[in-house]
Amino acid sequence: MSDRLLRVNAYTTLDLVEGRARGHEFEAEAPGVVNVTAPREDPEQVTLEVELDGTEIDDIAAHADEIDLSPAQARTLAEALESTADRVEAARNGDGSR
Amino acid sequence: MPTDVENWKSEVYGNEVRDRLFEFAEEGYDSIPDDERDAWFERFKWWGLYHQRNGQEGYFMLRIGTPNGVLEPGQLRVVGEIADEYARGPGTNPVFGDAYADFTTRQSIQLHWIELSDVPAIFEKLEANGLSTQQACGDSWRNIVGNPVAGKDGQEVIDAWPVIRDLNERFKGNDDHANLPRKWKVSVTGSADGSGQGDINDLAFEPAYKSVDGDGDASGDAVGFNVRVGGGLARNEPRFARDIDVWVPPERVPDVAGGLSALFRDHGDREDRYNARVKFLVDEWGAEEVRETLQAEYVDFELETAGRDVREEYTYNAGEGERNDLIGVHDQKDGANFVGLNVLVGRMGAADVLDLADLAAEYGSGEVRLSQRQNVIVTDVPDDALDAFLDEPLLDDYSPYPSPFMRGSVACTGTEFCSLSIVETKNRQVRFARWLKENVDLPDGVDEFHVHLSGCTASCAQPQIADVSLRGMKTRKDGEPVEALDVGLGGGLGEDPGFARWVTQRVPVDEAPGAIANLIDSFAAERDEGESFRAFVARHDEDELDALVDPEETDYEDPMMHNTKRTWYPYAENDSMDDAPSPPADD
Repeated sequence: MSDRLLRVNAYTTLDLVEGRARGHEFEAEAPGVVNVTAPREDPEQVTLEVELDGTEIDDIAAHADEIDLSPAQARTLAEALESTADRVEAARNGDGSR
Repeated sequence: MPTDVENWKSEVYGNEVRDRLFEFAEEGYDSIPDDERDAWFERFKWWGLYHQRNGQEGYFMLRIGTPNGVLEPGQLRVVGEIADEYARGPGTNPVFGDAYADFTTRQSIQLHWIELSDVPAIFEKLEANGLSTQQACGDSWRNIVGNPVAGKDGQEVIDAWPVIRDLNERFKGNDDHANLPRKWKVSVTGSADGSGQGDINDLAFEPAYKSVDGDGDASGDAVGFNVRVGGGLARNEPRFARDIDVWVPPERVPDVAGGLSALFRDHGDREDRYNARVKFLVDEWGAEEVRETLQAEYVDFELETAGRDVREEYTYNAGEGERNDLIGVHDQKDGANFVGLNVLVGRMGAADVLDLADLAAEYGSGEVRLSQRQNVIVTDVPDDALDAFLDEPLLDDYSPYPSPFMRGSVACTGTEFCSLSIVETKNRQVRFARWLKENVDLPDGVDEFHVHLSGCTASCAQPQIADVSLRGMKTRKDGEPVEALDVGLGGGLGEDPGFARWVTQRVPVDEAPGAIANLIDSFAAERDEGESFRAFVARHDEDELDALVDPEETDYEDPMMHNTKRTWYPYAENDSMDDAPSPPADD
């Protein structure tokens, strides 16, 4: 029995994303869940959680990946996400800007 | 380092909260300082008040805790009157109307749209009639559950009602047990059907026989309770209560219950709320260490080892056997009847509550009892009144002989009011049940089919112990994000409880009825003679089961496929958050 590992409720950051699990011998597409969290009390880091739906991926055991980030790393990630989002949006708008 | 919640709790607790609550009610919702709101909302839970979700600011859900679901003569009428007068707000539910009461999976009652300014009047009326909201929510003893017809059930092994009443009296409002690391859910079952659902509670007492040395006289077995600890469903970490090898006579139940509550109080995790339920402590220590600690530090008498239980007779929510629920006409010990009525998804309009209160008084004693399947039971109906009672028009809507899909439905509150939920639930399950009733036949001999719909992983609709478990998610359909459901199969209690196996993820909600229909068709075609659905599921692996859950569009239409949690109220004409009403004016 493989239930989801991440709790998913209305507070989950993204309850529907598209992704891929890719290994040397395989690649599988699956929807997934992404969540940013930190303990309510005395948090020491920001945790980024990612889980692709286990029912769609046969090659690896159902799992969630959890990445612990320092505040500085979290901000680096946020900046990278923002600037890349800008670039993708511009391209979609046919802006041609680089 | 204690959590924030711990700090808020220790600063102002219990009865002090009530005083402040009444002050805020007097001065108005706006008198709660903005930067203290979270803290006060956490404290209000101690008095059964939960602030409703985003877009419904200033409105509260009120939970009335009725131990063992017992509503004494007159009390159901009081609930109906309060619902009628106060449980009204800016939203109208298209199925249930303006004012209604919800019967919950812990045999309690929930009312919505409650305004702070009305709380003193509501509390006064409840308390004048022996009802209470105290500790219905929060980190304390929650409403004690059990087999609803305790004291009257013809199938009873031991009367659990005096035991439950005693526990409630001793531990409700008891400062020593008022501030636990997390919620504490207790069940005392006295019947042979397992309808107290002890296995999914933090602390369970279940009926058991023990030969106890008397004065060396010829033995009979004494009847009392075995003890299990550490059950609970939430957060993708479901557990069944573990046998700690203890038997107690009824008079010792409070000692052991208090001992275990104190053990939880002292040893439960206060650093991490997500690890705080006693189920994790039992995981960590093991049942033996729990027993040893209880014996050494929390009780002052020698604990007996476990007695002979009656688990082989458990049928409630078991997925097989007779009496999977308490619907229909059943014998009481005293020769009268109790009549279980199906309340679809546990919700009853206020007018119907008042009607039912009248009928219970006319045909029974006025008493009703609530079950953990969100249904209501009218007790004490004598044989010679039965036919006339069953003829009453109200029973067309709340039937003792409902379709299996109607009686099998359980649903949580969902995005209508709850801030955790991802999807719409109650109205959806009503639509599902109606469609299934019209379109799907169960195979011969299969009279029950339980479908539990929960809006998220908090699992308040107890999805893991149903034939078909549905849990809110999202998916993409035709390029748009839509509400969806993860599907689990084959859960149930009984002698050997088992949790559902989650086999299919993200079924778009409009394809779920078709999926269930296809599943049941395959079950009918492939089952062994006389095989229950639960047994059928058990002998297939997850991939096979996933294939049987074959999502399909049908003539079922779902008007709520969009993201209902982003509305201020799913059924409002102008439902965007921008159209959310302001907090209620205090009069």
